[in-house]
Amino acid sequence: MPVSQLLQVRDLQVEFRTRDGIAKAVNGVTYGVDAGETLAVLGESGSGKSVTAQAIMGILDTPPGFVTGGEILFQGQDLLKMGREERRKVRGRKLAMIFQDALSSLNPVLSVGYQLGEMFVVHEGMSRKDAKAKAVELMDRVRIPAAKERVGDYPHQFSGGMRQRIMIAMALALDPELIIADEPTTALDVTVQAQVMDLLAELQRESGMGLILITHDLGVVADVADKIAVMYAGRIVETAPVNELYKAPAHPYTRGLLDSIPRLDQKGQELYAIKGLPPNLTRIPPGCPFNPRCPRAQSVCLTDLPPLYDVTDESGAPLPGRGSACHFWKEQLHG
Amino acid sequence: MAEEPILRVRGLVKHYPLTQGILFKKHVGAVKAVDGVSFALYEGETLGIVGESGCGKSTVAKLLVNLERPTAGEIFYKGEDVTRLSGRALKAVRRNIQMVFQDPYTSLNPRMTVGDIIGEPYEIHPEVAPKGNRRAKVQELLDVVGLNPEYINRYPHQFSGGQRQRIGIARGLALRPEIIVADEPVSALDVSVQAQVVNLLEKLQDEFRLSYVFIAHDLSVVRHISDRVAVMYLGRLAELGTDSEIYEHPTHPYTQALLSAVPVPDPEARGKRERIILAGDVPSPANPPSGCRFRTRCWKAQDRCAEEVPELTVPPHLAGADGAAHPSACFYASEDPAP
Repeated sequence: MPVSQLLQVRDLQVEFRTRDGIAKAVNGVTYGVDAGETLAVLGESGSGKSVTAQAIMGILDTPPGFVTGGEILFQGQDLLKMGREERRKVRGRKLAMIFQDALSSLNPVLSVGYQLGEMFVVHEGMSRKDAKAKAVELMDRVRIPAAKERVGDYPHQFSGGMRQRIMIAMALALDPELIIADEPTTALDVTVQAQVMDLLAELQRESGMGLILITHDLGVVADVADKIAVMYAGRIVETAPVNELYKAPAHPYTRGLLDSIPRLDQKGQELYAIKGLPPNLTRIPPGCPFNPRCPRAQSVCLTDLPPLYDVTDESGAPLPGRGSACHFWKEQLHG
Repeated sequence: MAEEPILRVRGLVKHYPLTQGILFKKHVGAVKAVDGVSFALYEGETLGIVGESGCGKSTVAKLLVNLERPTAGEIFYKGEDVTRLSGRALKAVRRNIQMVFQDPYTSLNPRMTVGDIIGEPYEIHPEVAPKGNRRAKVQELLDVVGLNPEYINRYPHQFSGGQRQRIGIARGLALRPEIIVADEPVSALDVSVQAQVVNLLEKLQDEFRLSYVFIAHDLSVVRHISDRVAVMYLGRLAELGTDSEIYEHPTHPYTQALLSAVPVPDPEARGKRERIILAGDVPSPANPPSGCRFRTRCWKAQDRCAEEVPELTVPPHLAGADGAAHPSACFYASEDPAP
C-alpha cells in the first residue's frame, strides 16, 4: 500500500480495561487517506471502526480505553506523541469529526448559532458578534434555508436532517484537512440520507479535504467511497478500491457480508447468512478471529493469525491497494 | 389469493390529541398519525409496510394488535370488527394477532428468565398450554427459533442482539397466532445477523402458515420478504401493490423518490442511476398539507393536488397497463417520473 500523505495509521492497538477483562478493541490497524480521497471503514458493531476513529481524534474515554501501541501520523507528525495542548490545536482546526446522533451531540440549551460560533471564539479568538455572522455563513454553506432567521434557534427546533447539517457545518467551520464521519446518516431516513451524503460529497469536492467514512451500510459505501477497509474483531481483514471489492472480494467475511444483504434491484430466494456471532473481544479466538464462522476454515486458520497479505491477480502481478487477511485469499479470489 | 382476507382494515384513523394547560386540558389540535388507511391481509402472505419515520407505520402496528384504539375505522379479523369487541371476545382475537417488536434490548424484561418471558403469554391464555407442560412447550419454541433449549433459565443480557430477537419471536409464536405484526424486527441488528433473522421469519411462515404484516423503513429488506407492499406517507397510503409492481413499476412520485434514494451496493451503478433528491422535510402530522399530503415536496404538484385528496385506487388512465395498474394515490400517477 502506498503511504498516504495526509493521515497514516500504523499498527494501532487499543484496549479497554474492564471488570470482565481486557477487551482488545483494535488489534493492529493500518490505514491511510490522502487529501481529496474518501476511505470507507466498513464493519459491524464491535469491529473497532469507531474506536479507531476516536483514537485518531484523541477523544477515547481513558480509562477504560488505552492506546497501547502504534502510530497515528497526521501530515507526518505522530499525534500520539503530542502533548495535550498541541493536540487540541490540531483537533477542530485540521481534524474534525461528525457523529452519528446529532441530537445528543448538540447542546440542547444553547442556540445552534452560539454552538457554531464557539468554534471561532475558541480557536480564533473572534468576538461573539463576528462569530455569529460566521455561523450564518456556515449554515448557508450546508444549505439550511433561512439561515439568518434560524441562527438563534435551538437544536430541538430542527429536523433530524437539518441537525445533521449543523453537525457538518460545525466540522467544516475551520476548514479542516480531514473529516471523520462516524455513521453520519444511520439515524436518518433514506430520502434525507441521500440529501446529506450528496452535501458531504459536494463539500469535499469544493474543499479537497480527506474523508474517512465509518459505516456498516454497504450501499452508502458503494455510492461515495474511493477505497474501503473492512474491519472484523479489531483488525482490517480486507482493503481494496471500491469497485474491485464489490466485484471480487478476497476475504470470506467480505464475501459473506455482500451475499447477506437483500438487494432492492433483485428478489432472491433465501438470503445467505454468515453463521454464528462476532467474537467477544475479551476472548478473541486464536488464529484467524473469523475462523469459527468461516466456510473455508482449515486447521491452519485455528492456529495462525493471517497477516494482511498483498493481493495479486492470477498471473501474480500486484493489485495496488488490495490486501486480504486470509490464508486462502487466492482460493477466495481466483476460485 | 381470491379468498376472503384474514384481516381487512378500512378507513383506519388514529389522532392523538394535543392539549394545552394542566388542570383544564384544552384540545388545541391533533397529531394525525394515521388518517384513513385501508388494506387487506391474506392468509399465508406477507404485507410489507414501508415509510419514513413519523409516517404512522408503527401506529398502524399498534392498532392492528389492539395496543391502541382507533379514532375511527374498522379492523375485520375473519369478518368480525375487532374495534367493537371487548372482554372475552377481544381476548380471543388478540391471541391470534401477535407482535414482534423492534428493539430486542428494551422489549424483554431484564429481570425475567427467557423461560418466563416466552411462557408469560400462557398465563393470560392458559387454554393454550396446561400448567404442567409449559416448560416443555417453551423449550420446543426455543428449538424452533434456533436457540439451545437448555438456555431456558438464562436472562436476556446473556444473549446477543440477534439471539434476543429470536426470543422476541418465540414469545410472539407462543400462542400459535395466525397473524404476526412485526415492527422493524431486524433494523437494530447487524447485517450478518439480520440475514439470519429474516431467514428464520421466512422459515416459520412456511412451517406455521403465518400471515405477516412486516413494517420497516429498509426498502431492500421489505422487498425481500414481502408478497405485497404498501408505501405510507404522513398517515396515508401512497401506493399499494405486489412487490414487482411497487419496485419495478412504481407510479406514485413519493415511491419513485424513495426508491431512487436507496443506496445500491454496486459501485458500478454510481452516477448512472437517476436519483430524485426530495427537497425539504416531511411536514408535521399535526398540520398536514391540504389535499395530497405529498404535494409540498412533489415536483408534479398542480392546483388540483391542494384542493382534492387523491384516493388510493387504480388510476383510471393506467387501467390495463402492465404492472402499472395498481392502486396509487396520485392524480398524475405514471411510471415516468418526469413532470
